[in-house]
Amino acid sequence: MSFGALHVARTGLDAQGFRMQVIANNLANVNTTGFKRDRASFETLSYQMMTAPGAPSSAENRYATGLNLGTGVSLGGTSRIDTQGTFATTGNALDIAIDGAGYFQVQMPDGRTGYTRAGNFGRAPDGSIVTSDGKPLQPQIQIPEDATNVSIGTDGTVSATGADGTLTELGRIEIARFANPAGLQAIGDNLLVETQASGAPQVGGAGEEGRGSLRGGMLEGSNVNVVEELVDMIETQRAYEVNSKMIQATDEMMKNAAQTL
Amino acid sequence: MDRLIYTSLTAMRGSQARQTAIANNLANAQTPGFRADMAEAQALWLNGSGANARAMSSEEVIGADMRAGTITATGRDLDIAVQGDALLVVQAKDGSDAYTRRGDLQLSPSGLLTTGDGHPVQGGQGPVTIPPADAVIIDVEGRVWIVPVGGDAENPQEVDRLRLATPAGSDIVKGLDGLFRVKGDGILPDDPEARLVTRSIEGSNVAATTALVEMIEASRSWDNQLKLISDARDMDSATASLMQLPR
Repeated sequence: MSFGALHVARTGLDAQGFRMQVIANNLANVNTTGFKRDRASFETLSYQMMTAPGAPSSAENRYATGLNLGTGVSLGGTSRIDTQGTFATTGNALDIAIDGAGYFQVQMPDGRTGYTRAGNFGRAPDGSIVTSDGKPLQPQIQIPEDATNVSIGTDGTVSATGADGTLTELGRIEIARFANPAGLQAIGDNLLVETQASGAPQVGGAGEEGRGSLRGGMLEGSNVNVVEELVDMIETQRAYEVNSKMIQATDEMMKNAAQTL
Repeated sequence: MDRLIYTSLTAMRGSQARQTAIANNLANAQTPGFRADMAEAQALWLNGSGANARAMSSEEVIGADMRAGTITATGRDLDIAVQGDALLVVQAKDGSDAYTRRGDLQLSPSGLLTTGDGHPVQGGQGPVTIPPADAVIIDVEGRVWIVPVGGDAENPQEVDRLRLATPAGSDIVKGLDGLFRVKGDGILPDDPEARLVTRSIEGSNVAATTALVEMIEASRSWDNQLKLISDARDMDSATASLMQLPR
């Protein structure tokens, strides 16, 4: 027995369930450095024509409007909202935040380049700058063992004071920006990878050609706004509820019919 | 048995269709720019010889509720909400112009500006394509500005203008793809006075409470028809027992 309303309400439940997962992920990452929140976007499923407008309703009359019934909703996709997160001063020299557009380049174990906004870097045993889980920053910059007072300029220049007290420039951090950053694909571990949609990376010095400048000793927090997520969560929960009410009501109609007839 | 059950049946079929329409409204209570469908029953008189005692019920979606949805600020550069009753012009799958209120715009891999459900947005010279840019800005008048790669952020360039059309005076209907079109073909005139709310998105205009009340109403109307059918059965069996030969 098929009853349209039941299946349409089910698509609503499915879509709201997915949205809840997106919100849960945003909330779970409220303290993840450089995290960008996702937004679930819904789209209507195609309409079904039950009666065409203009079809004859009787020998002389024609339907004026017809009957197009919707078939529900689906989760079209998620879009990343790339607004700036808040900066927090940490005092740690190798914590770097990007003020503006762009991503740090990180070498992934499979040789590809990953892109990240998370600037909580550290120093590997061999002196290279690595992410918190040990992936080397590209291009690689070596910090000598005896170096003290590592500092990072707004243009990405990394300099340190050597054992003899002289300031030496160790290298320059380059950042990549994309024509369509929303097209980057998130693969976890704070990393994004380039796709056809994002376009090729435009790599260059920080603060040049629209790339953001760097802030040493600071971290960019997650751009998740807890209040906003909670409001979305309540909204989603209520939408889920009304869709399940619809299933209940339809079920009762069918039950009633089965018992009466 | 009385033919009354067939009259009831048309009404039951109607409440089933109406329930589906309401379920679809509720399912799309979170779809950006969605417009609720309004279903109404109409009487279909069967004209025969004799008295016109019966009208069959026919359920029709008479149109969409065009009231505005809630506008929420999102901070995303490509989110726009259309003010007033103007509609955004998009390209439907068959290449023709269609209209929508959906303003969560996306950039496709080829640089085409589309709505969240993938319909290319129409500008002055056909679908709006955006060259590689540092920033894309849409202003309140619908003009699309870009900062070219490596360009001066203070000096954006205009690439196109989103077309906004006014439905005033025209009868528009929702098509099978959820986009609006002029009833019986035709196009809506562009409205240069239409304005956008930038970095915001217009939600669905489905009011959950209203939809729930309608849902209860459709359920009750279904139950009432069931009652009539079961009454018809009682009447029929009463007649049968009355006409039975005495034993």
